[in-house]
Amino acid sequence: MTPRTGSDSGSSGNSGSGNSGNSGTGGTGGNSGTGGTVLSVRDLSVRFRMRDGSYVRAVTGVSFDLAAGECLALVGESGCGKSVLASALLGLLPGNASIAGSALLGDDGLDLLRAEERVLAREVRGRRAGLVPQSPAAHLTPVRTIRSHLRETVRELTGDAGSGRVRAAAGRAAFPEDHLDRHPHELSGGLAQRAATALALVGDAPLLLADEPTTGLDRDLVERTVDELRRHTGDHRALLLITHDLAAAGRIADRVAVMYAGRLVEITDASGFFGAPGPRHPYARGLLNALPERDFTPIPGMPPELGALPPGCAFAARCARASAACTVVPDLVSGVACHHVAVAHA
Amino acid sequence: MADTVHPAEKTENGPNGPNTAVWRSRAVVRRSTRAWRVRGSAAVVAVLMLSVLLVPPFAQLDQQAVDLAAKLRPPSWTHPFGTDDVGRDLLLRCVYGLRVSLLVGVVAAVVSTVIGTAVGALAGALGGWTDRLVMRLVDVFASVPHLLLGIFIVAMFRPGVWPVVVSVALTHWLSTARIVRAEVLSLRSRPYVDAAISGGASRRRVAVRHLLPGVLPQAGLAAVLMVPHAIWHESALSFLGLGLPTHQASLGTLVQSARGSLLAGDWWPTLFPGLCAVTATLAVAGLAGAWRERLNPRRRSELML
Amino acid sequence: MARLAGRRALFAVPVLGAVTFGVFAIAAASPFDPVKAYAGTAGLSASQETLDQLRANLGTDRPLVTRWWDWLTSAVRGDLGVSSALRQPVADVIGERVGWSVLLASAAFLVAVLLGGLLGVLAARRPGGWTDRAVTSLAYTLEAAPPFWLGLLVMWLFALRLGVLPAGGLTDTGSTVVTAGEVARHLVLPAGVLALSQLPWFVLYVRQGVGDALQEDPVRGARARGLAERTVLTGHALRSGMLPVLTLIGSRVPELITGALLVETVFSWPGIAAATVESATAADFPLLAALTVLATFAVLLGNLLADLLYGLADPRVGFDG
Repeated sequence: MTPRTGSDSGSSGNSGSGNSGNSGTGGTGGNSGTGGTVLSVRDLSVRFRMRDGSYVRAVTGVSFDLAAGECLALVGESGCGKSVLASALLGLLPGNASIAGSALLGDDGLDLLRAEERVLAREVRGRRAGLVPQSPAAHLTPVRTIRSHLRETVRELTGDAGSGRVRAAAGRAAFPEDHLDRHPHELSGGLAQRAATALALVGDAPLLLADEPTTGLDRDLVERTVDELRRHTGDHRALLLITHDLAAAGRIADRVAVMYAGRLVEITDASGFFGAPGPRHPYARGLLNALPERDFTPIPGMPPELGALPPGCAFAARCARASAACTVVPDLVSGVACHHVAVAHA
Repeated sequence: MADTVHPAEKTENGPNGPNTAVWRSRAVVRRSTRAWRVRGSAAVVAVLMLSVLLVPPFAQLDQQAVDLAAKLRPPSWTHPFGTDDVGRDLLLRCVYGLRVSLLVGVVAAVVSTVIGTAVGALAGALGGWTDRLVMRLVDVFASVPHLLLGIFIVAMFRPGVWPVVVSVALTHWLSTARIVRAEVLSLRSRPYVDAAISGGASRRRVAVRHLLPGVLPQAGLAAVLMVPHAIWHESALSFLGLGLPTHQASLGTLVQSARGSLLAGDWWPTLFPGLCAVTATLAVAGLAGAWRERLNPRRRSELML
Repeated sequence: MARLAGRRALFAVPVLGAVTFGVFAIAAASPFDPVKAYAGTAGLSASQETLDQLRANLGTDRPLVTRWWDWLTSAVRGDLGVSSALRQPVADVIGERVGWSVLLASAAFLVAVLLGGLLGVLAARRPGGWTDRAVTSLAYTLEAAPPFWLGLLVMWLFALRLGVLPAGGLTDTGSTVVTAGEVARHLVLPAGVLALSQLPWFVLYVRQGVGDALQEDPVRGARARGLAERTVLTGHALRSGMLPVLTLIGSRVPELITGALLVETVFSWPGIAAATVESATAADFPLLAALTVLATFAVLLGNLLADLLYGLADPRVGFDG
């Protein structure tokens, strides 16, 4: 696949929201997807107001598009704001959160960030966007069996809760029938993950958000899980895979977006990321090199606290290429946000 | 959804141009009334204390003034609470009753706190067999409904102040004992106590210099929190005829003597003493609650990313 | 489960023993002369000889421990002594009256649980909202109000002022046969007031439990799946939020008994709580001792029930006693 040319069509719709210097979003039309754009995020920012009045900026100015049949892997270290992004899209943030930007869903362009709670609850969640949450067992009610969870979700989303439907729903995620009457705490990590996936797929939503689906699983289970997620995606569903496991992402992603300290620092297609010429942003490069299969060298230093972000590029403190120019936040140009990268044009 | 526009808000990332983000939040902002409630409680307590302290010396004769011609008058401008069955002004009677109830309540709360603190401190400080014995004792006391035990105690003695005080004290020392024991246990494990002991301090010195300052505020708070319960308990016992003697006006005896007039249809001799008790209880409990928040603040909720 | 019950039964024995001993000890410190109390008005004119004979018969001159032991051993065999005030065997007094108290307490408890649960959930749905503030204020005010005062006011309003319900007793005056309809009518006010006195605790605890549950992950997961808010509330938040209330329900027995003591007195309900008060006023020691022990037994039973319920309701918890 050819490297994408930077196009500006993403920023033309912004009326003074977000960083005005944003010139490219690194991917409007899908290139491996067969369908139209399922999700279009522009300048999404999330901040939390703390008790002492200060703000923690968990997500700043994130923009990307997602097409049907496409898998976008959103990678980054723990605490960089990836899960907050998923919560923001579904309106599941806690009370002290405020959001800016837009996230247009589907053909009718419903802005998820502006929609009323009633609309989200009745039309969006489970039906147009499904979530496979982090810590799946913790997101189920401990006193109820998996069967009762499935039956309830099937009844609410499709109106028919016959046992046949329930079994079919479980079967979609290969959840074994004989475990349907277990309680969440009785399930292994892998089974809990499948239960959560089955529940997320009940509504046949065109957008699937998978938040850290491989945490706590061992290697071969990780591979099986992501392969199954890819299978569920098929040609008609879009998958946003949020993970810190680069290797897992490499298995199934069509495109990769790297987040650091709440911002997108690189967004490019997977083959160009995992193969040649490799990631262009120094952080992304460092992430890939940290894998055991590659150099196995970690990036020195620690990511900054989201409540105390430094002015300028957040990675400068750990970057070998840092210079005086890094006191200004780099814009995302042609899929990479760095002052020291020569943008390659095909 | 609440929209807040922040024009020209600079981003933390330096001179990148004004950030004109429109921030939206799904939270509904509700103004907290806690501060007003605490002020309200303080005001009510102040009013009650003032009336209880200032009125009696001046109205000593008036509250006993029997005026059969004015008996059982409903509330009016001259008698805001009405009059009772022998014509006494009910507002004055309530103030007197409140005074007695408060007095008995405070004394009982203090005695109860002293017992509870002693027992709890002993259990926490000595540990081992003493601790286990004390905890068993607490279990035994907790197994008997407190009013029942209270009734039993006053039943065995003639009505009077001290049986009531003893009754309250013996039934309410449990919670104080638990709190103090927990505090002592936590203080014992603090590093500075270990340091003091290994530095050669005697047990008594450790107890006085290090444990006591931590225990006293908790004990004090427990005592204040206990006052409403003590008032409740005393009024219940007095109502049943087992507490204070009927000629002594406390909030409980006032309600008891009002029973006759209630059956005849006069509601005010019953309503107002009880209302005073409820008001006093809520106000004292409100203040004590605010003090407890100050003393044992709840942890801030953590941010999940 | 049987092991838990067994351990509790074992634990109950020393507790009951200690309580009964304490009861005897307090009585021993009493200035009342049990002989005079037993003899009643007849004792005023009785000769010293008769009184001494009575004293020997009642065994009141024996040491405390002996008296306690004798009482304990005969109680275990079923002989609880004779009530000095009512001139009836204590066991008969209890037998006649305990049923009415159980009826009153159960009715009140049911109302308190249901109404408290409903109000607690309504308050927890929107924390800080108008319903929440109203419900919380009501709960704290009810908690501060003495039950006997509430009872008197309610009686005045419904029985005297509006005349729709009877003012007390079990049956209408003059009726010789106890009918279910009459009892039901007479039950409304006392059970209602007793329920009101127990309501605050249930309201506040359910509000707390459901409020906490609404912030936690299982509810977040339920919402993310697209369930309607009502389903989230009843199917998920309520289930998790009621667990703390369930554990502690049995611990409400002492408060229930306390409330019953006052309510039965106000409404002249012929239960054992009213009998307790009467026997206390008359310094009727045998009856009083037996009732105190009965109450303690009820409390211990309540605690056991609470643990059993919790073990059954929460699949994560086993019965370790």
